[in-house]
Amino acid sequence: MKVLIIEDEPVLNKSMVAHLSSQQYLCESATTYRDALDKAELYRYDCIVLDLMLPDGDGLHILQALKKAGKTDGVIIISAKNELDDKIKGLELGADDYLTKPFHLSELSVRINAIIRRKNLNGSNLLTFEEIIADTSAKTVQVTGNDLPLTRKEYELLIYFVINKNKVLSKNTIAEHLWGDDMDMADNYDFIYAHIKNLRKKLLAAGCTDYIHSIYGMGYKFAIR
Amino acid sequence: MKLLDKYNRLNITATIITFVIGSCTFYFLLHYILIHQIDETLMSEQQEIVAFANTHHSLPDIIRTKDQYTNYETFNGNTATSFQNVRSGEKEEMRQIQFGVSTTDGNYLVKVAKPLEETEDLLQVIIGVTIGMIALILLVGYFINRIVIKKIWRPFYRTIEEVKSYRLTDETLRLEQSEIDEFTLLNQSISELTERVQRDYTSLKNLTGQAAHEMQTPLAIIRTKLDLLMQNEEVLRKHAQHIADMEQAVQRSARLQQSLLLLTKVENRQFALDEPVQADAIIRQKLAEFSELAEAMHLRVAINDEPTLVKFHHHLAEIIISNLLNNAIRYNAANGKINIELKNGILTIGNTSTQEPLDQEKVFKRFYRVHQGEDGNGLGLSIVKQICEAAGYTASYNYVQGLHTFTINFKPAKF
Repeated sequence: MKVLIIEDEPVLNKSMVAHLSSQQYLCESATTYRDALDKAELYRYDCIVLDLMLPDGDGLHILQALKKAGKTDGVIIISAKNELDDKIKGLELGADDYLTKPFHLSELSVRINAIIRRKNLNGSNLLTFEEIIADTSAKTVQVTGNDLPLTRKEYELLIYFVINKNKVLSKNTIAEHLWGDDMDMADNYDFIYAHIKNLRKKLLAAGCTDYIHSIYGMGYKFAIR
Repeated sequence: MKLLDKYNRLNITATIITFVIGSCTFYFLLHYILIHQIDETLMSEQQEIVAFANTHHSLPDIIRTKDQYTNYETFNGNTATSFQNVRSGEKEEMRQIQFGVSTTDGNYLVKVAKPLEETEDLLQVIIGVTIGMIALILLVGYFINRIVIKKIWRPFYRTIEEVKSYRLTDETLRLEQSEIDEFTLLNQSISELTERVQRDYTSLKNLTGQAAHEMQTPLAIIRTKLDLLMQNEEVLRKHAQHIADMEQAVQRSARLQQSLLLLTKVENRQFALDEPVQADAIIRQKLAEFSELAEAMHLRVAINDEPTLVKFHHHLAEIIISNLLNNAIRYNAANGKINIELKNGILTIGNTSTQEPLDQEKVFKRFYRVHQGEDGNGLGLSIVKQICEAAGYTASYNYVQGLHTFTINFKPAKF
């Protein structure tokens, strides 16, 4: 899957490329408005990661250009502007999602993944990892063909893990994904622990291998041992 | 003391003193002139008598008139001409000249007197007129001051009113032109001053926003680099704690910076605050979101609300309620309680806590924390306060029956 990363800050651009490339995405990057517009108009991407503030132009214009050309590339805006107006404007202009800086790379993956799944009209909404199959449209999970009833938080957690498989995920990152930004969960990781414990228990009970590994002092990693 | 009173007082005193001195001078001058005139009349009388005596060698007959008394006395000796004031039988003041005349009958002392009555009358009239003038001038002055000066000063008071009601967050102060140069100068100076202050204030205010804004990209770099760094097993084995600490610090900075941005925007009035917002719905929704946290601390949450529609901004209303609930839970004691009430447009959220009653004054201040090193960034409540103020509502804190109670009054604040 091809992703275009439009971000004028080269270091940040490289970080995103490094992370997404390790998740089987084919990444291209653009650091200027001109370059970004050329690439967006010439090629087709599954998802475009778009920074709104570019030194030589407004990222929103790229969005308009795409729309004008009838392109259906998924677009996720990443911006330092967390202003509501911009967010609404971006979404109105056809962006699929909006992420405010500073974000976690794992969060970016989840959002890109969701956009691609949504855009993929004929494709399936299935996410699979070994014996686990998650249907993201019906929000159901099966383990070796049997339904696995999960709470909403557990389901979100599992999807998050599957998309960011083989990545070390800090508790902080997980908390922010599950509870969002405005809930101050600082220092209170017991909740994450409780949810992970429950999820693991359910997975094991369904006959699933234990893929959730705890990383001491850091967080968790979802992977085949 | 009012300028007008002060001026009046000085003015009246000065006027009275001037008139008193003036009147006295006038009186004495006039008196002198009148006496001088009488003396001249008397002297011409003397010349006539002397001339008569010289020609006829006798004194003229005494003609008794009302305003002149003459009498002759025989007299031996040398008499010089002299004037004096004398009194007649009826205590009438007279001016009298006496001189010696030699006739064939011998030497006579001639006394001619004229009454001063008319002079006195004249003086009285003059003094009366003077006093009348003083009174009239004072009266006119008083009315001029009251009416005209008040009218003249009106632009000044208008300016004062404008300045009084002026707030930094308002638009630039617009002061009217005045016919009077001094007031125009005053208005100009004030306008320039406020413009300058406002410019400085705005640039300072924007600096906070801009600084917070500019920090986002570097923070994004640090955060993503940490995400990448923790994928390295070698690094993780040795430095897990460092990375976790750094991550937390980035998290805190990110929150702080978002709060500052929000504060700046609220202060800059960048939100339209006239959406109809269903306050009770937001409270219930936020409560549901926080239920997990509340349950973990075994808190008993009681809610007593009624449908309440307020004029607000949806997102800001969420932020206020979220911040208040967050505090109510975070600073609560285990097995504590939270009472939420929304009645008659007044929202109160009370919670038990291990903390002492807070300082009512300081609690809404920026970066106020009861204990140093708490995980909150100290901006939550000041955001609540700012948002409420922007929307014209009031936020207050009280410690009531063991409950830390925050009250939001959704009735428009009266000024």
